[in-house]
Amino acid sequence: MLIKINSVAHLGLASVKVMVEVDVAVQGFPGFNIVGLPSKAVEEARERVKTAINNSGFGFPDKRITVNLAPADFVKDGSCYDLPIAMGILLASGVIEPLPDLKNSLFYGELSLDGQLCHSRGVLLVAIFAKKNGYDRIFVPYDSANEALAVTGIKVLPVKNLAQITKYFNHQGEISAPNHLQTIPPPSLPEFDFSEILGQEQAKRALTIAASGGHNLLFSGPPGSGKTMLARALPGILPNLSLEESLEVTQVYSASGLLKAGQGLVWQRPFRCPHHSTSQAGLIGGGSKVKAGEISLAHQGVLFLDEMAEFSRSILEALRQPLEDGVVVISRAIGRVEFPCRFMLLGAVNPCPCGYLNHPKRSCRCSLREIERYQRRLSGPILDRIDMHLFVPYVEADKLTTHNPHGQTSAQVRQLVTKTRQIQQKRLKPFGLYTNSQMKNKQVKLFCQTTPDARQLLKLAVDKQSLSPRSYFRILKVSRTISDLEQNQLISVSHVAEALQYRARVF
Amino acid sequence: MKKFNKIIGNLGEDLAAQYLQKQGYEILERNWGSKWGEIDIVCKSNRESNRRGLSISTAAVGSLVFVEVKTKTGRLYGSPAQMVNPRKLFQIKRIASLYPAGINQFKRIDVVAIVLSYDRRLISLNHYQAVY
Repeated sequence: MLIKINSVAHLGLASVKVMVEVDVAVQGFPGFNIVGLPSKAVEEARERVKTAINNSGFGFPDKRITVNLAPADFVKDGSCYDLPIAMGILLASGVIEPLPDLKNSLFYGELSLDGQLCHSRGVLLVAIFAKKNGYDRIFVPYDSANEALAVTGIKVLPVKNLAQITKYFNHQGEISAPNHLQTIPPPSLPEFDFSEILGQEQAKRALTIAASGGHNLLFSGPPGSGKTMLARALPGILPNLSLEESLEVTQVYSASGLLKAGQGLVWQRPFRCPHHSTSQAGLIGGGSKVKAGEISLAHQGVLFLDEMAEFSRSILEALRQPLEDGVVVISRAIGRVEFPCRFMLLGAVNPCPCGYLNHPKRSCRCSLREIERYQRRLSGPILDRIDMHLFVPYVEADKLTTHNPHGQTSAQVRQLVTKTRQIQQKRLKPFGLYTNSQMKNKQVKLFCQTTPDARQLLKLAVDKQSLSPRSYFRILKVSRTISDLEQNQLISVSHVAEALQYRARVF
Repeated sequence: MKKFNKIIGNLGEDLAAQYLQKQGYEILERNWGSKWGEIDIVCKSNRESNRRGLSISTAAVGSLVFVEVKTKTGRLYGSPAQMVNPRKLFQIKRIASLYPAGINQFKRIDVVAIVLSYDRRLISLNHYQAVY
């Protein structure tokens, strides 16, 4: 008997329907074959399915079984075909009765040897695919069901094991479909609170602006001045993701298999800090299976490159296009994959190899040539794409010993940042954007209204410092954010002046 | 244990030979082979096979049939047919190629899977035709 079961294959964030055809022959020499370009992991599904069916108490049919994964022209990878194959065998051998609406159902999930369904990657993508293509029901592992629940309009059936789904089909039991979204957790406590950071008021101000508008930021400074600590305090002042943002981020995490079992949507803004030995495939995305890189995992969040000058040059240069576009397209032999990557870049560097260039107390041990070569590691095009540059100075001893009770806590700053982001979102929602830094030139022209003297100052600065047109627009965007922090409609001189101040070359 | 398996195997082969004769096959050889291996039964079909799924050549009258007999006691460790894997079939094919036959002689390989009870009575006998 031939049974057809619908399932889904993923390539990046895109999904394709896969028809799992299972034939249990009436006669023929017993055997179990999978055709339709299965990868090694899918080949191994044979042993998992066979054992899982046996251990669930149904005899594995001693017949000739042929499984075809259609369309057969691309490689099927992953372990998520276990459930559709097992269901096909159970249906075709008559253990369970086919329901009439089998055609409108999707099956997806990995089996363990005892017949339980394991947490599988990409379940959110399955739910989105189901909604888009008019499937009513999806059968997914119980542990992965929470992420699928974010998609409304389809019935998510969380399956614990093969025995349960068999009972459901034979009208002997129900699969309870939970219909409530997981509650949004409160923002987690950061590693460092803003109030714990001594001195560095200017850096904190810059962080607040950058966090509000999603602007790229580069810290330069001597070792131990607190660059890394400041960066680590950043998650504490970022607001939670909105539902739309969260869906985008969770898709990437679901496809990458980074969601924990039972986890729903990702609400916390991602903060990724890859080590400087990261490969290009690790940072940008790629590899033989085309996985999302760190920049995509930092989507709607922060990509923190500590010791940015230590990253290999080619990797940093590869950031150019994603920084501008907010998406990265990876073309490989197996296909073309597009990942979103609207992230905020936060870099930290030392000004020279020894780290003490322009230090008030210590002398720099580097030769001019060394300094020059070190600073060349960050190229002009990359620096041009960073909106705000800031020198994080050495902290005076008396600032370390005196406690400042008036320092703002992270929670207070987060309130300010959240409010500023709301202002931006109200303005930018029709364009599908979230923050000022994501504005294209068209939106800049629309929303960055300046006072006449502010325009005069900006013109002067562009002439004097011979800034690139891109820098010009970026300065305007930062000014917009500073103005939004004060909830002003117009961009005034002081806003532009502050934005210009962050353009001074520090590296 | 080895000896026990041998007894069971021989018993199964006898049962298979009886069955095949009853089905109209002419037994040509028993345990034909050399140092590379053995073929349990070599026989010739004298009746047209009417099984579906067989090509004309393999179902034809007078084709040579090489039979592998697999016998198991009890069903505890899987069915006997599952024990005949592609490697074993390849081995049989290789030895079968050594069998002196006419140029236009049709050949095929069959498997007879036998399950015995613990007191050595026949529980089931399955004849799978043209498995390779």
